[in-house]
Amino acid sequence: MKVEFQTPNRREYQNKKLEQGVYRFTANRPWTDEWKRQNDKARRPVVVEPIRDWNFFRGDRVEVLVGRDRGKHGIVSQVIQERNWIFVAGLNTHLRRVGSRQEGSAGFYVKSEAPLLVTNQVALVDPSDNKTTKVEWRFTEDGERVRVSLRTGRIIPLPPSGFETWDYKTPETYLEGDKDTKADVVKAVNFRPTLKTFEMEIMESMGIIEHRVPKKSYWY
Amino acid sequence: MSLLRRLVVPTYLSQALTRFSCKNNVDRLFSALFLPKNAYRMVSTTTTKFDLMEFFDDKKNWGEGTVRTGRSWTKDELRLKSNTDIHKLWYILLKEKNMLLTMEQACKDESELFPNPERIDKVAESMTNLEEVVRERNRAYYLLETGTTGERPGAEEENFLGLPEYSQFNEYPVPKEENKDYLKAKSEEPVVHPSEKAWFLVRLNEKRIKQKRWERREARKGVKEIIEHFPDVDRELIKEKFPDINVERVIERTNNRHLGNIKPKTFKWNRC
Repeated sequence: MKVEFQTPNRREYQNKKLEQGVYRFTANRPWTDEWKRQNDKARRPVVVEPIRDWNFFRGDRVEVLVGRDRGKHGIVSQVIQERNWIFVAGLNTHLRRVGSRQEGSAGFYVKSEAPLLVTNQVALVDPSDNKTTKVEWRFTEDGERVRVSLRTGRIIPLPPSGFETWDYKTPETYLEGDKDTKADVVKAVNFRPTLKTFEMEIMESMGIIEHRVPKKSYWY
Repeated sequence: MSLLRRLVVPTYLSQALTRFSCKNNVDRLFSALFLPKNAYRMVSTTTTKFDLMEFFDDKKNWGEGTVRTGRSWTKDELRLKSNTDIHKLWYILLKEKNMLLTMEQACKDESELFPNPERIDKVAESMTNLEEVVRERNRAYYLLETGTTGERPGAEEENFLGLPEYSQFNEYPVPKEENKDYLKAKSEEPVVHPSEKAWFLVRLNEKRIKQKRWERREARKGVKEIIEHFPDVDRELIKEKFPDINVERVIERTNNRHLGNIKPKTFKWNRC
């Protein structure tokens, strides 16, 4: 393994070493123990197909094109863009054993969704006729970037759940707290350009008058 | 009771409160007049707002699991604001930063969890954005008036190893020739013989060339792997992503791998 950082070999330093292996993105989040277990040993790097535009978002209706659920429609539940993966809720599943591995314990089985490649294993569904379609990104007259179905020419709206954050479900439903500056205050424009520096304007507003002339100085 | 979270009351805060609640001169004056205790409540020497408690968060946020806040100020938003507003906002942010750092330390002292530590990063980001907007305005003024940016000057000079190095200038009251300390410090800098410098630079250049060649080779390997794994990949996109690599040549080589390594047509020994 390649050593990324190592403390100097002197007595005032603790002997610490940071090794950089070849990590890969998996279905588990990188800060979880499962991911750490998966990346315990160096594995061969994964080849990911480069794609031009990302078309799949959480909450989209898609059709599965491969596997036992071929032809079924489902909703995208998770997106992992680093591997070109999406997960479709309740589709393309297998049974996964969880629980103790000791002898005598039966454990139990859960239904677990497997990832699907966006390049050739799923297709977006056009909401106007519920059939699969290829899409293209175009601009509306208002300058908004939208997905357009190439077959029907209709706009496929972006799902709001694809843009959720930790702080809000949608930007419109965000509740302003005590510590937040209100949106209309932030948007208000009160900048008037003048032929002054920042310091000159602040001094003027505070009534500070400076008559002293600075002595000549040299920069080198 | 165990479900109720204990309020965060730092130890040194309670000490400060007891110190400040001792009798001041006004207390002594009114107590000397034997007035009832509430008669002089309206006379106050300090305002409630501007005390040490401003270093701490609102009491209702003490011991909370989460304190919800929005995002930091962006540059585009700050550009709409006047200079006086920006000046005020700077001090609001500075006070918030002091408050957050105090609360962080207070929570640490009390072994409590500091809620939403990303608030410190949000304030820091706002402050850097604000500084950048102020510099932007000043730069515009100086370019218009003097033709220079008005910022701290600097220059790229050759260092003792013969490598170019950018350094910012310092301000001095006397010119370079009269500055004894500066000249002394300059004379004490390490001196390398020109031949040694040339020796070093040749080897450094060699290392850089090898590194560049290695990077190109790795990129070529990457292109080859992508084409092997995904034969239907968008070729134009690969050409855009790897502009230094002859993608057609890589495809030809991957398709005709059974031919083995192709010998170059002309081969001469490099004699020098």
